[in-house]
Amino acid sequence: MSTARTTAPAKTSAPAAKSAPAATSPRSRRDNIHGWAFSAPFLVFFLLFLVWPMISGAIMSLTGKSLTGANSGIIGLANYAEAFADADMWRSLGNTLYFTLISTVPLVVIALALAALVNMGLPAQWLWRLSFFSPFLLASTVVSLFFAWMYNPELGLFNDLLAKVGIPPVAWLNDPAVAMWAVVIATVWWTIGFNFLLYLAALQNIPQQHYEAASLDGAGGWRQFFSISLPQLGPTTVMIVILQILASLKVFDQIYQMTEGGPGGATRSIVQYIFEAGFTGYRLGYSAAISYIFFGLILLIALAQVFATRKRSA
Amino acid sequence: MKQVDSRPMQMTRRQLLLGGGVLAGSLSLGASLTGCGGAAQAAGNDIRFWHLLSGGDGIKMMAMIDKANADHPDFRIKPTVLAWGTPYYTKLAMASAGGRPPEVAVMHAARVPGYAPGGLLDAWDLDLLAEFGVRPEDFGSRIWEKSQFNGQVFSLALDSHPFVMLYNTEVADKAGVLGSDGRLADISSPSQFLEVSRELQRVTGKHGLSYGYLGDGAQMWRLFYTLYRQHGADFILEPGRPAQVDRDVAIDCLEFITSLLDNTISTKSGDGGTAIAEFASQGSGLLFTGVWELPTMKTAGVPFGASTIPTLFGTPAAFADSHSFVLPHQATLDESRRRGVYQFVASMLKNSLSWAEAGHIPAYQPVVNSPEYAALKPQADYAHAADIINYDPVAWFTGSGSDFQGYFAENVQNVFLGRDKAADGWDAFMKRINTVLAMPNPV
Repeated sequence: MSTARTTAPAKTSAPAAKSAPAATSPRSRRDNIHGWAFSAPFLVFFLLFLVWPMISGAIMSLTGKSLTGANSGIIGLANYAEAFADADMWRSLGNTLYFTLISTVPLVVIALALAALVNMGLPAQWLWRLSFFSPFLLASTVVSLFFAWMYNPELGLFNDLLAKVGIPPVAWLNDPAVAMWAVVIATVWWTIGFNFLLYLAALQNIPQQHYEAASLDGAGGWRQFFSISLPQLGPTTVMIVILQILASLKVFDQIYQMTEGGPGGATRSIVQYIFEAGFTGYRLGYSAAISYIFFGLILLIALAQVFATRKRSA
Repeated sequence: MKQVDSRPMQMTRRQLLLGGGVLAGSLSLGASLTGCGGAAQAAGNDIRFWHLLSGGDGIKMMAMIDKANADHPDFRIKPTVLAWGTPYYTKLAMASAGGRPPEVAVMHAARVPGYAPGGLLDAWDLDLLAEFGVRPEDFGSRIWEKSQFNGQVFSLALDSHPFVMLYNTEVADKAGVLGSDGRLADISSPSQFLEVSRELQRVTGKHGLSYGYLGDGAQMWRLFYTLYRQHGADFILEPGRPAQVDRDVAIDCLEFITSLLDNTISTKSGDGGTAIAEFASQGSGLLFTGVWELPTMKTAGVPFGASTIPTLFGTPAAFADSHSFVLPHQATLDESRRRGVYQFVASMLKNSLSWAEAGHIPAYQPVVNSPEYAALKPQADYAHAADIINYDPVAWFTGSGSDFQGYFAENVQNVFLGRDKAADGWDAFMKRINTVLAMPNPV
C-alpha cells in the first residue's frame, strides 16, 4: 500500500514535466548547457577516477594481469573460483567482520554515553568536547605509533599499569587472542569523537520542553533518557550505525601499522589481503577479483540495511 | 547559426564567468593529470635515484651522493628516499611497469629475482662498467655470484650487510669469556653458547643476550637462516615443485632459538627496539643484530666488539643481503644519462669506505683491502663474513622485506613465544610456501 502511495505522485508529475513548454525553450536549453558546464569538472573526475576504475577493475578481475606488466589475458572466472577456495581470503574476511562487530558496538554505545554525559550540563563543556573529539584529528600513523608504544610488552604503559595491580604482562599485539581487541581499543579511542559529535548535535536538537513536561510528571533522569532521548535519537543512531559499519569494514591503516596483520594473520583485514595479493604478490587480476567479492558483500550489507530501515519507517 | 555567431560579440558577465570557470576547471584537471610527469620530468643532466636508506644510513648515503655530484659536474643525482620494505618495492615495481622509473635505484640483491625476469630491470653492460674502472674481479665471489640472474648481471652490490653479534667487552670481561686478544673467546657448540650467555646474564643481572623479534619477520628469519645454513642444509625453492628443505634441521634450529628465549638468557617478548635499548643500556652482554646498528651503539657509548654469529653447528654461515644498484627498465633509454649512471655507480663503489662507517661491509674489494678499512674497528673484525654470507633462497617472493619473511613470522612467532610446537610452526610455514610455489609465477 505504502509503495503505491509513494509512486502515485511521481506518475502524475512525470507528464507534467514532459509537457512543460520551458523544457525546450532556448533559455532553458542554455541553462542546461550551463548546468552541464559547471558540473563538467566534477563529472570528468567522477567518470575518470570512479566509474572507469570500477569498470577497468571488473575487467581486470577476469584476467591474469600481473603488477610487473605481464598480462596473461582473459582467464574467465578462474580468479573468483580460486578466491572462493582460498582459506586466507575467508580468514581475512572473517577478521574484517569480527573487527566490524566488536568495534561498531563500543563506537556507538560509548559515543552515546559520552554525548549524554556532556549534554547533562557538566562545567567546562568545551574541554569535554575537545578531549573527546580531538583524537579524531590525528593521523592514523600517529595513533598507531602511540598505541604500539603503549602496548609494548616490555616498556609499554599498559603492562606497567597492569603490573601495579598485580596482573601479569599481556602480549597486546602479539597474542592472537588479544591483538584484535588491542586494535579495537586504539580505534575506539581514535575515532569515537566523530560519532560523539553527531550524537551531541542530535541531543541538543531535542526540544527542552519534552524534558520539562516529563519532569513535571515526575520522570527521573534515567526515565527521561530512555523515554525521550533514546527514541528521539533513532534516526541519528541508524545513520551512525550505517556509517560506522561501512568505515569499520574498510579498516586497514591502523592494523597494518600496528600488527601488519599479525600475529599469524590474526588481524589481517580483507583490504590488507587485497593489497598484498596485488602489490606484494603482483597478482592484480586476483586482487581485483577479491575486491569485487568484498564489494558484493558490502552491497549485501547496504541492501540489508536499506531494507531494515525502510521496514521500520513504513 | 546566426545566433551562435553573434554570441561572442555580446558576451554577458555571466557568460564570461562561466567561460572562465570551465577554463579554470579544465586547466586544473589538466595540471593534475600531468602533475606526476611534470614533477618527475628531469632536467638534461639530472639522474633520478631511488633508495630505501633512512636514519644514519640515509645521512651517509646523502653525503656520498653530494660527493659524487661534486666530483662529476656533468650530471646531477637527484635522490628520492622511500620507506624500505613493501612501500619501496611496490612503488619501484609500479614505476618500472608504468615505464617511468628512476634511472638508477637501490635494491636488496635477494629481491632481484622478483624483478629481473619480468623485464622490470635492465642488465648492466660489463664493457661500459670496465670503462669506468669496475670489473667482476673487484667483487667477492659470493657477492658477484648473487649479482647475476640467468647469466646476466642485474645488480651491482654496494655492500653486504650480514646478521652479526655484538658483545659488550666490559660485561664479557667480568664474565671471564674474553680471550687474551680482548675479543670474545671462540664458541663452537650450542651448549657452550647457552653457558656463555648465562655467565653474561649473571653479570648484567638482566639478560645475557638481546634478541628482538616480535612482529618482525625479518629478524626471525635472519637468525633462523643463519643457524639453518650452519647445518650445511639446503633451502631450494622452485616454482611448480614443493620446497626442498631439511625438516629435521629446521625444527632443531627453531627449538634452539626457543631455548634462548627463556626470559633469563633473553626475553621471550622482545621486539627490535627493546633489544637495541637493552644492549645500549648494558642490560645484556650480547646482541643479535644487523651490522647497520653499529653506529647506534657507538653513539650510545657502549664498550663493544663485533663478530659473526658463532659457528654452533659446524659450517660457518651468516644471513646477509646486499644494497645493490639496479637499472630499472626505461621505456625510452637516454644513452647519455645511462652513461652518467655508470659513472655515478662506479664513483659510489670506489668511495664506499665511508659507507663502511655505517657498519656495512663494502662489496668493492679494493676498498676492503685498503689499510684505511683495516683500521676501521670493529668493522674489520667481521669483514670475513663476506665469505660466509647466505642470501635468501632464490624465488620471486623472497628477499629482504618480502612476503616470504612475513609468512615465516606468521607461523614461527608462536613457536618462539612457546605457544606452538616447533614442528607445527614449521609445517604450517612449509604449507604456505608450497601453496605459493604451486601458484602460477606472476613475474
